Amino acid sequence: MSSAGRSWLFLAGFVLFYAAYLVLGALVFSAIERPEEERLRLDLASLRERFLNQSCVDGAALDLFLEKVLKANKYGVSALHNASGAANWDLAAALFFASTLVTTVGYGHTTPLSDEGKAFSIVYALLGVPFTMLVLTACVQRLMYLVTYRPVNLFQQRGALAPRVASVIHFTILMVLVVVCFFIVPALVFSRIEEPWSFLDALYFCFISLCTIGLGDFVPGEQPHQKLRALYKVSIIVYLFVGLMFMYLVLRTFHKLADLHGFTAFFHLPACEEDEQQDRVPIVEEGREEGPPEADKTATKPLDVASQTSYNTINR
Amino acid sequence: MRCSTLLAILTVVLLYLVMGALVFRTLEASKERIKYDELLSARTSFLHNHTCVSPDALQELIQHVVSAIDSGVDASSSSNFTSRWDLSSAFFFCGTIITTIGFGNLSPKTEGGQLFCIFYALIGIPMFGILLAGVGDQLGTMLRRAVGKIETLFLRKGVKPTSVRIISAIFSILIGCLIFLGVPTLVFQEVEQWSLLEAGYFVVITLTTVGFGDYVADDRRHGSFMYKPIVWLWIVFGLAYFASILTMIGNWLRVLSKKTRAEMEELRAHATDWTQNIQNMSVDFRIPVQLDLNDPFQLQRRRRRRKRHRGTSHGYPKVAYVVPGLGESLEAEGIRINGHLFRSWSEAQSTLETMLETRSMPRLDAHFEVWPSSRTVSKSELRSSSRAASRSVSQYSSSTASGSQSESESQSERESRRSQKSRNSKASLPSPEASSPVESAEQEPSELNQLPAVKVEDTTPHPSLLDFFGENLAYIDESSDTLSDRVKPDSTSPHPPRKPKRRSMRRQLPNRSLLVMKRVYSSELQPPSNPPTPPPQVPS
Repeated sequence: MSSAGRSWLFLAGFVLFYAAYLVLGALVFSAIERPEEERLRLDLASLRERFLNQSCVDGAALDLFLEKVLKANKYGVSALHNASGAANWDLAAALFFASTLVTTVGYGHTTPLSDEGKAFSIVYALLGVPFTMLVLTACVQRLMYLVTYRPVNLFQQRGALAPRVASVIHFTILMVLVVVCFFIVPALVFSRIEEPWSFLDALYFCFISLCTIGLGDFVPGEQPHQKLRALYKVSIIVYLFVGLMFMYLVLRTFHKLADLHGFTAFFHLPACEEDEQQDRVPIVEEGREEGPPEADKTATKPLDVASQTSYNTINR
Repeated sequence: MRCSTLLAILTVVLLYLVMGALVFRTLEASKERIKYDELLSARTSFLHNHTCVSPDALQELIQHVVSAIDSGVDASSSSNFTSRWDLSSAFFFCGTIITTIGFGNLSPKTEGGQLFCIFYALIGIPMFGILLAGVGDQLGTMLRRAVGKIETLFLRKGVKPTSVRIISAIFSILIGCLIFLGVPTLVFQEVEQWSLLEAGYFVVITLTTVGFGDYVADDRRHGSFMYKPIVWLWIVFGLAYFASILTMIGNWLRVLSKKTRAEMEELRAHATDWTQNIQNMSVDFRIPVQLDLNDPFQLQRRRRRRKRHRGTSHGYPKVAYVVPGLGESLEAEGIRINGHLFRSWSEAQSTLETMLETRSMPRLDAHFEVWPSSRTVSKSELRSSSRAASRSVSQYSSSTASGSQSESESQSERESRRSQKSRNSKASLPSPEASSPVESAEQEPSELNQLPAVKVEDTTPHPSLLDFFGENLAYIDESSDTLSDRVKPDSTSPHPPRKPKRRSMRRQLPNRSLLVMKRVYSSELQPPSNPPTPPPQVPS
């Protein structure tokens, strides 16, 4: 029972540490953002005063009007620019919305207004989210061969490095490449295309999107006179999916790395075993076992009893 | 996963997205238009009523207000200022960042805030992932233990094990749904004054971590101080629950696809082995059979078998896979059929392997029951032979590739064959397995979708379906147990729920010699047990 007890202990300690982390974050955010908020609010109050002073509008009518504007704005209907504007639900935008829904990014810049839309979103999300995860996992599994297993073996064999060292080196290289390709370069592109965005804004957007947080304060393609808007939105969707895939890849590589170095076993966490069972090609490689998996790359190789699915008898 | 399957899945996802886009568009576009018109009319009426206001000044005001709202400032003209970044709201915000929900009703506007947000999330998200893994493990074990107690209750009452397992799976899902979806929906409906649909919408959007932010719990901060932390706790546990459900579904799908492929392959191998035995028997009994020496499959297979099974007692007559009394070669038909089914040898091999192991062998017994446990030898034999079979099959079939989605095909194949089998079984002899291939080959020679090994399907589709699902659920249950549970020695005693009843087989002596061959076959090749013994424990 000691192992179970220890795992509970670890969990409790971990939860406490986590709560402390949250509190720390709350304090820092509070300290940083409150002054800015205060300033903005004072600005707004003074603007309102000025507006009311120089016009015949009374406060109540203005509030009423503003309420309507804000309510519409919340739903993505913009009252600005007196423009017919880009509709929020043309095909490209709806596709964008659907993809933010299934990738769980969920910007929230457009949300379903009607009851049927909400009900459909529920069903669509419940089906689409696991589905997307399945697809991404499948893609990542295949990508792992190309990106992780082969290079690590290469390092081991050609460079004659120890497996741990090889995996660490590979991981750092992978991280650098991913950061450059999926954060820096897209941030540059976005900051060029979207006028009001600075580089930091674009980088912040890339990070928030690829972690599927999706706050929604920055959403590309929402400028009123965006050229080639449909194409732009579709390319953002592609960026989201590919970026997510590589995020999962990095995560999985890190998991295997942690397995290798014994972290997961130390914390009594489930090891990254799915590939172990199927492929029997751990990140540490003798080179011998590489033959069969590389030979039939297209297979899910249940070539031996261990990886065979079989009925299990529940211990009763 | 194969390239073709992957491409198929990708296409399906794309189609799913496009379908969703179309539906959303039809549902939402009209309402959006209405809202826009409302707003426009409100604006024009305002300007009309208050003529001293110029449109530009109004525009400027609106812009300011909107940007302030985006920053999270509450624009209603309350004089006292309560910041939205007080401690509990900031805590909640951090929680949404870490869980990647990201409502967005509150977001950092300063550069420092954004930069800090990036680094905070970089560290916090993996940490939360680890936490979620741990919580999910413990939660899953607790839930499974509770359900296990109920299962024992059912078992004592004498309900079938497989149905018990299915009931327990459904039950655990229902319990989880009730606790993490149902109760919060009602609570939010009460506290936030939302409608039931809106509360349910919020719960689902939050727990899948989409987090639009159009509905956020306690946005107006009316509630007590403890409300937000409780909501956050619910989010954590609900996420853990959802994650474990998703893992379970993923495991199930994986097991399903593996089993399907393996079963197909096993089926195939068994078919070839079985009929090979028939040939031997037919040679012994001098039953005239047709030759098909030009069959490439046969040649290769014979070559491989000769290589592998040097020592076995089977002779290798140069006869084809032909059932006596039947004019044509089932093998050839089988290859063609398999050519439609399997795109790559590995698929066929794995499918047939397990299928042979699990499905076909039981059929030899009249009641498809438990096997003698000395299955390892036979299994390796089968596997090697099935591997050979499938390899040659695939080599043959690679030239007849015509589509993709072999997995789903084979899956649907099995289902169709299952139903087909039940139909066949009615018209067959007391030994349905032996004669049904004959009959099926006779009845549906044109139905290329039927494997010759239809014979190995169950006569009663419903118990077999239940068995299939029930045993899969058991597998999933076991595979998703916590490490601590796994460390416990796995009592690999395959308690046979059904006893082998080969005695009844032997007692029946039908006129056809096929049964004799079958008996011989079943005594020679030890079939795998059912339920098969669990695999050697995967090291944790």
